[in-house]
Amino acid sequence: MPCEMITLQLGQCGNQIGFEFWKRLCAEHGISPEGILEEYATEGTDRKDVFFYQADDEHYIPRAVLLDLEPRVIHTIMNSPYAKLYNPENIYLSKHGGGAGNNWASGYSQGERLQEEIFDIIDREADGSDSLEGFVLCHSIAGGTGSGLGSYILETLTDRFPKKLIETYSVFPNQDEISDVVVQPYNSLLTLKRLTQSADCVVVLDNTALNRIATDRLHIQNPSLTQINTLVSTIMSVSTTTLRYPSYMNNDLIGLIAPLIPTPRLHFLMTGYTPLTTDQEAASVRKTTVLDVMRRLLQPKNMMVSTAHDRNAAHCYISILNIIQGEVDPTQVHKSLQRIRERKLAQFIPWGPASIQVALSRKSPYIQSAHRVSGLMLANHTNISSLFDRALQQYDKLRKREAFLDQFRKENMFNDNLDELDHSREVVQELVDEYHAATRPDYLSWGTDQASVDA
Amino acid sequence: MSEFKVHHLVTELIEHLGSNASPESYVENLQRAGTTTVSSYNHATQNCVRQLAQNSPNRESFIEKYEELKAKNTDCLRPFIQLLSVISEDRKLKEYLEKNAKTASTNLQNSQTSQASVGSISDPLRDSEIVEKVTTEDLPVIRSRLHKEVEIAEEKRSLPLNKVETQEKARHPNYQSPVMPNWNSVRPNMNLDFVTHHSGPVPFAAPLGAIPVCSQESMVIEEILFCLEGAESDYIVPNPLRGLYETRVFSISESIDPSLHEMVKQILPLASHYSMVMRFIQEKSQFECGQVNHALTAAMNTLIKDYMVLVAQLETANRKGNFSIHKLWFFIQPTLHTMEILANIASTISKSGAKGGKVLSLLHERTSNYIGDPAGQELCLYLTQNACVPYMEILEKWVYKGVISDPYEEFLVEDNEVIEKEELPFDYSSDYWEKRYVIRREKIPVFLERVADVILLTGKYLNVIRQCGKNVKSPQAEEIVYTIKERQYVEAIEKAYRFASKTLLELLMQENDLMGRLRSVKHYFLLDQGDFIVQFMDSCEAELSKNIDDIVPTRLESLLELALRTSAANGDPYKDDMRTELLPYDLLFQMFKILSIETHEEKEYRLPSDKLHLLGLESFCFGYEVKWPVSLVLNRRAIACYQMIFRHLFYCKHVERLLCRVWICNKVAKSFALRAAKTYASAFALRQRMLNCVQNLEYYMMVEVIEPNWVTFLASINKVNNVDDVLVCHSDFLDNCLKDCMLTNPSLLRTVNKLMAICVHFCHFIQHMRRYYLDAELTSMLGPTYEGYEGSDAYAEETPPPSPELMGNVAGESDSFEQSISKFNLQFTAVLVGLLDKISELGRENNNEKVLNILYRLDFNTFYTEQLERLCDDRSMVGGGKEETSG
Repeated sequence: MPCEMITLQLGQCGNQIGFEFWKRLCAEHGISPEGILEEYATEGTDRKDVFFYQADDEHYIPRAVLLDLEPRVIHTIMNSPYAKLYNPENIYLSKHGGGAGNNWASGYSQGERLQEEIFDIIDREADGSDSLEGFVLCHSIAGGTGSGLGSYILETLTDRFPKKLIETYSVFPNQDEISDVVVQPYNSLLTLKRLTQSADCVVVLDNTALNRIATDRLHIQNPSLTQINTLVSTIMSVSTTTLRYPSYMNNDLIGLIAPLIPTPRLHFLMTGYTPLTTDQEAASVRKTTVLDVMRRLLQPKNMMVSTAHDRNAAHCYISILNIIQGEVDPTQVHKSLQRIRERKLAQFIPWGPASIQVALSRKSPYIQSAHRVSGLMLANHTNISSLFDRALQQYDKLRKREAFLDQFRKENMFNDNLDELDHSREVVQELVDEYHAATRPDYLSWGTDQASVDA
Repeated sequence: MSEFKVHHLVTELIEHLGSNASPESYVENLQRAGTTTVSSYNHATQNCVRQLAQNSPNRESFIEKYEELKAKNTDCLRPFIQLLSVISEDRKLKEYLEKNAKTASTNLQNSQTSQASVGSISDPLRDSEIVEKVTTEDLPVIRSRLHKEVEIAEEKRSLPLNKVETQEKARHPNYQSPVMPNWNSVRPNMNLDFVTHHSGPVPFAAPLGAIPVCSQESMVIEEILFCLEGAESDYIVPNPLRGLYETRVFSISESIDPSLHEMVKQILPLASHYSMVMRFIQEKSQFECGQVNHALTAAMNTLIKDYMVLVAQLETANRKGNFSIHKLWFFIQPTLHTMEILANIASTISKSGAKGGKVLSLLHERTSNYIGDPAGQELCLYLTQNACVPYMEILEKWVYKGVISDPYEEFLVEDNEVIEKEELPFDYSSDYWEKRYVIRREKIPVFLERVADVILLTGKYLNVIRQCGKNVKSPQAEEIVYTIKERQYVEAIEKAYRFASKTLLELLMQENDLMGRLRSVKHYFLLDQGDFIVQFMDSCEAELSKNIDDIVPTRLESLLELALRTSAANGDPYKDDMRTELLPYDLLFQMFKILSIETHEEKEYRLPSDKLHLLGLESFCFGYEVKWPVSLVLNRRAIACYQMIFRHLFYCKHVERLLCRVWICNKVAKSFALRAAKTYASAFALRQRMLNCVQNLEYYMMVEVIEPNWVTFLASINKVNNVDDVLVCHSDFLDNCLKDCMLTNPSLLRTVNKLMAICVHFCHFIQHMRRYYLDAELTSMLGPTYEGYEGSDAYAEETPPPSPELMGNVAGESDSFEQSISKFNLQFTAVLVGLLDKISELGRENNNEKVLNILYRLDFNTFYTEQLERLCDDRSMVGGGKEETSG
């Protein structure tokens, strides 16, 4: 089976969104929590083997590896109805169970120590698939396990599987509330460096925006983690829908992300989803047309990334992919695109052709939706750099005071000096600069000022 | 008339005219014009005749000729008259003709009459239009041709009857009627008609003048009664016939009393009629005249029997005495009328030599002409009904069972039995539908003309069902009887048609699951089943990148099978009918061959076929095994169309995958130092533009062309009620797809192909160069650890090293990486802008072209607009310059 994806869930956050993701995939494919195909789903033309494989007894088992350094979340999963879904051999809990203490350095060094055991699982899983296309990594960049261990695994994966794609769903911390993790800026920055250099595609899930959407758009006063994670799982499942429901195009991950990412470093994607509803207010059905959906997707308030508006830089889209689900007439798509083009609803880069790519996809027949059409946008927008900018600022604030660095110095990596932090800052700064440069027409010759370029 | 026949006639005509125009254009024109029905000519004909007669210098002879032709029921008299009137009204033409009349001995009118015979030889409806078109230029030539034709026609007319018959027989060797002994000529007395021994003066018996009138009367009555039975008599002697179908004239002895003489003269037409009818019966009872004529003569025979009874009764009355010639006259009055009609019919049919459907047409016309005469109409109806019986039997067999049993070739449908279907199942299907059964237009009875096509289809459908090994029997097989009102039999025919088309449609749609088949074909040929294609290409790309001669077809087959079984296509019940094919020519060659563009560039296109090293990718396509009766719809042509679309899409997909592979190779660059990574920025940007272009093209073709067309096709297929509609819908679907995928426009197709070729070169170049550039960066960055993985790099081995001449084309060996990339860049941009320009030009001609969508998609952020405008400006400048120099 081609194009298999192995999902790695790291840390508390990673396992939580991963859990919601699998729940959702099971529902869409008609697989029961025990991994048995429901009777109504036996005739499906969907492809379950991208994310699942079949055990000897017809059980569908997710190609998922669950990793954590502390047992709490994984125990919750193992006590849920979905406990029997996973392959128990793919669940790895650190023996001492103490976690990473929200410390990137601790997670990273534990990764080094546990590398063999972890990669035993990953290698076994990779060997079990005929033509593995890549890995999906779920983690947050703020904590200890997801960021530290995640960073280590990212680096090692790139080394070991240089030709496989690595896509991450990275949760960025909420800026609106004061985090209990004081070293969060350090963690974020160090992880960002790995995401820049080792991941092929990062889907940015900004907790700030997710919370805002939950309160503003879904009118939930105090959104619970589960509610937020449902949003995330929706994005994750829809962004893989063209792989699971094959049609004319975008049937492999590479075909999906290659056009989105013209130059290798600028691989941080924003997402947007519409229409957003919760279970409670499914009654209020609005009319959804393709144009509506596509226009709403371009509105910042539907974005799962909250970006500061930067007046100085003319931020623009590098590329857009809209995955439209439901009953869609291709001519409507064309008309909508024309309308968007005429009204200049989206600004694009000046240095290359860019357009709103559209992937039409089927919906799962087993999940009823009140909406005729729904859409997910995956966009490569230069404004995402403001997120990194913010991370840099927070880091600088902390770094200036030399605050909370003791915990880091305990670990091997920072024993002698803090060069790694400085180097990470440099990489992230370069990334921000490159995003800024991408808004200008001379982007292609940017950074090679001295070198002569023919064109 | 078949296309070939038209073509042949036109060529012949043009040859005769000495013109060197190409016949193709005329044929095309004709076929377009030929669809207008003859019926539209009907009304104007009388006017034309009147007008012609008015203009004619010798009016009587013209009218006479016209009436004669009309009497013969010459097939295409009406359109011919129309032609004449057109000629006569065109003053210029007429003047021209008159001027040239010096050379020709005949005048315009004569030439017209001679044209009549031309008209009857070839189909004048079509012919005439050619004449119209050509006359203005080459009138003298027409004249000479007409002469020639007249000669031929006369020759043909002078041929003895039996010679014509043998000719006809030679044409249809299948049907051989038994030979009739030549009794009638050997033993003339066996004839039922009068026998005339004498030639020269009439040998009357002794004059009657001496006998008193009252005695003369009973003798004369006897004489008349003899005559009415076709026997000889003494004083009323039949004259020898002047022509075979002439009315018989009698000589009456002058010695009969004048009053009686007059009475005899009054009565004698009855004998003439009798003679005519008997001659007709005798002649048409022969085998080769066909069943309709047989039936007609049989019906006439019945009437003649009644007539004989009447004559016998009259004789009895005469014997009893108390009978006078006036009484005789009184008694035969009604019979005279009947016999007159019979004789009239007989002579018309004989003169026109009609057979089968045409006889029925004549009878039907007769019947409807007698609308004011109940007795006459009843008689005609009786005759028509009886004559129709065998014809209707053939018809019934055809519309209820799909069988033709037509030994005398009278029926309106002709069976061109082609090769046995087991021999060539694939070709057979497409031929079958088009050519197996055709309508013989000239054999349709007028009253069936309206439903002729329905009749053809009904039997055709039933035949298909029978070919599937099913026994069909129309449930409501009611007898089809001729009536003066057509409603009844038309209803029966239509009922049969509805049954046949419904049964066949059900057979095709339900039992053979046509839509399932088509859906399955769409999965594979139109790349609808994306995961299957991805999987297939994953496993086959290495094999297909080889030269066509090095590919092992069986391996392809097994890889195909593997891909089918492991992808979601596994659920498709028809997946086992998939085959792989390697065609010995590429798509460009195939398309150009089909379009057969006749330009000087043609040779250029032909060249690639000579190129022996065709890659597997260029020659690969799927095949699909279709069984009867699905092969009716999925015939060779349809499969070929699918294959063409497939090859186009397949190659695009391949290029997309190549570009994606380059992307994967390039992704290591993100860990490079900024300066080093930037070296490749232009290469990345170019790759991105290529990917953008290819993906948008694919999206356009798949989502904006194929899918909407498919949806429309599904919608229309739900509404069809016969198989012909299915065929039309399906071929419409394919045609639209071909057209909108830019496959039918040679210049667009060539540009797209060039675009793809540049992308492929670029990919090979990058893959090739990567070893020297990227690896150098990597090893310096990551140290030796990376080397170990390089060995397991599957992609590096897969892609063959580009041939030196290929690299030389675009990137000279001496060029630096940046220079080569910028060369690629220039090439790609030039071709792409060229493509966009061509498309926008198409859009200027017709704003509804779907291809315009590409323009919006590829140039969404107006990246190419500037270059496009520049190109337009350049062209308009060049164009303007040209105009100046030429003006």
